[in-house]
Amino acid sequence: MVIMDTNAYDDMLKTAFPAIRANEPVCTKSSHFQVPKNLLPAITHYIHTQPNLRGKLTLLWACDHRPSRDTYGLYYLFTLEASHHWMVLSTELTNTDRLFPSITPHIHAAQWYEREIRDMFGLIPQGHPDLRRLVRHEHWPKGTHPLRKDFPWNCVLGRQQGTYHFPHIEGEGVFEVPVGPIHAGIIEPGHFRFSVAGEPIMHLELRHFWKHRGVEKLFEQQPLTDAVSLAERVSGDTTVGHSLAYCQAVEALLHLDVPRRAKYLRSLFLELERLYNHLGDIGAMCNDTAYALAHAHCGRMKEQIMQLNDRLTGSRFLRGVIQVGGVPRDIENAQLVKIVEELNRIQSDFSEVGAIIFANASLTDRLETTGVLNEQTAWDHAVIGIVGRASGMNCDLRRDRPFAAYDELPVNVALYRYGDVRARLRVRGDEIHESIRLIRDIRRKIPDGPIACQPGSLPNPGDWTLSAVEGWRGEILYAVTAGEGGQIHRCKVRDPSFVNWPAIQWAVLGNIIPDFPLINKSFNLSYAGNDL
Amino acid sequence: MFRIIKKSLKIGVVTGRYPRAETPAIPIGAEVKEKAGLFKRSLTIREVDTGSCNACEMEMNALLNPVYDAERCGIHISASPRHADALVVTGPVAINMERALKDVYKQTPDPKIVIALGDCAINCGLFKGSYAVTGPVDRHIPVDLRISGCPPRPAEILEMLTELRKPTV
Repeated sequence: MVIMDTNAYDDMLKTAFPAIRANEPVCTKSSHFQVPKNLLPAITHYIHTQPNLRGKLTLLWACDHRPSRDTYGLYYLFTLEASHHWMVLSTELTNTDRLFPSITPHIHAAQWYEREIRDMFGLIPQGHPDLRRLVRHEHWPKGTHPLRKDFPWNCVLGRQQGTYHFPHIEGEGVFEVPVGPIHAGIIEPGHFRFSVAGEPIMHLELRHFWKHRGVEKLFEQQPLTDAVSLAERVSGDTTVGHSLAYCQAVEALLHLDVPRRAKYLRSLFLELERLYNHLGDIGAMCNDTAYALAHAHCGRMKEQIMQLNDRLTGSRFLRGVIQVGGVPRDIENAQLVKIVEELNRIQSDFSEVGAIIFANASLTDRLETTGVLNEQTAWDHAVIGIVGRASGMNCDLRRDRPFAAYDELPVNVALYRYGDVRARLRVRGDEIHESIRLIRDIRRKIPDGPIACQPGSLPNPGDWTLSAVEGWRGEILYAVTAGEGGQIHRCKVRDPSFVNWPAIQWAVLGNIIPDFPLINKSFNLSYAGNDL
Repeated sequence: MFRIIKKSLKIGVVTGRYPRAETPAIPIGAEVKEKAGLFKRSLTIREVDTGSCNACEMEMNALLNPVYDAERCGIHISASPRHADALVVTGPVAINMERALKDVYKQTPDPKIVIALGDCAINCGLFKGSYAVTGPVDRHIPVDLRISGCPPRPAEILEMLTELRKPTV
């Protein structure tokens, strides 16, 4: 595979499909094409499979352009494998047209996106193999599509009767185990339905969206500059990741140039968030194999970092540390030295615990070959983040599409190919060391200067942009469209959990139910960020 | 083996190494305390998330780490509402979770204490009014105790739970 320059990709596509029209790109390292709707399956298939492109479906979203124009817009974002170039395809459904061709039959990764669009906008993906409801549970009345502009954000929904049909696997000795929505531990709600014959899992069906809170609709009620606190609460454990992704999108729309020092501080907060979550996850994975010692040590270190966050910013979850245009509070250089000292201590502490963990043969026995997500399945589902990197997907936005201060902070990406629970544990372990190294790097390179810039002129209604951040779980994407008078017209939020959840259904196959909590923990996906 | 022992000796006891929380400003009502008195020195909690952003869950989990170690105060987390003395509910009640919350409430044996944890559970927070939120927890089930904060720190949760079980003078 060769890395070509941007124009070469555009020319390739235009030669193959003369009917498409190139538009102004929405951000750097991207191209944008206006595509006739009937050509969508052919073009997406071409981008996905053409050996020089190998585009991975990264985001698929819709936008209701009414009342200004009588159209719905559909947007397909592909990331090209070799160059990490973004290719946006957009199409419009005009007047009373509510049908669009489904691309799921040849791009698996589109399946939840298309079902989500059907629920939220009432647009029908023709040819989709599974048209059951996704976000709207069966008791939602027919015809409620919350993201349509004529749907009031604060209306009271009625009720109707209905049943959700789970696929049944039948045969001698096959039985179903329903779990949830409320689980045994202190975790979020979700429903899992296992079909098992004896011990091994033959089939797992997820039923999510119990926690749907209408986040995307709530965004539309707010001005661009005010919605940071809502972004922070999309998924509490990814406070910085979401607020940073949101702020970057708004800054692009307002043409703001964030000062370098603020960018470094943003990277610092993002790495602190990664640290406490990874430490907690390693402990929790050990706990799920009943290895309480490692859990206790990791829990202690996680708490140490959360208390450090609290002392630094007044919030254990780093809330309110990012604002549009920069950061609200500076961290003095003397404080940075202290942070690095404390993290150095935690690093040697973690190395000692890591040596104990990996010397434990019974733990390794539980982790190895458990919950394997192979490279092909990971590619088919466009799996990202820690889970992707444990299955050979070489992707990390900090390196591939640098944001914040990562253009000056080179990142070594942890990559494993086995795709089992142990690989996911190892990715986290490596990233802990890497994050601490990055924070040392930040301390060395951080420039002095201002930490925020003032919001400037308002964007034109209809302007839109994309923003991406590598949160601790994986890529967080925001597609924000500006509305009248600085309001948000549409804010598409994509937590990495939304992409990785369907993949878990494949990782558990052949494993026994008692290993499911362990596999689930090794993915550690957010329910809140998925359900929105 | 020696490595494990050496590590444990080196670290020592970490329990209690956290900044103390202030005593809650609003005193806990006498009737709630009376109800809590029935459970004497122990309290078994079932946690229910009805739509939180998961920060409250993380802080509940933090209560069980060696630093806070809530079990030393007799606080235990149960896997089923049928074994619980108290329900801790987090998040605004999402429309899809309303039935599950009512079911859990019914499944918890009487007498029971319901604790609304976090601002969202108390007044829906930022999600107030949304089409997918059916209201705060007390619109659906009676709430005895409210612990505010977004999210409340583990020290604050522990302080409230300890205060709850202090006998009235």
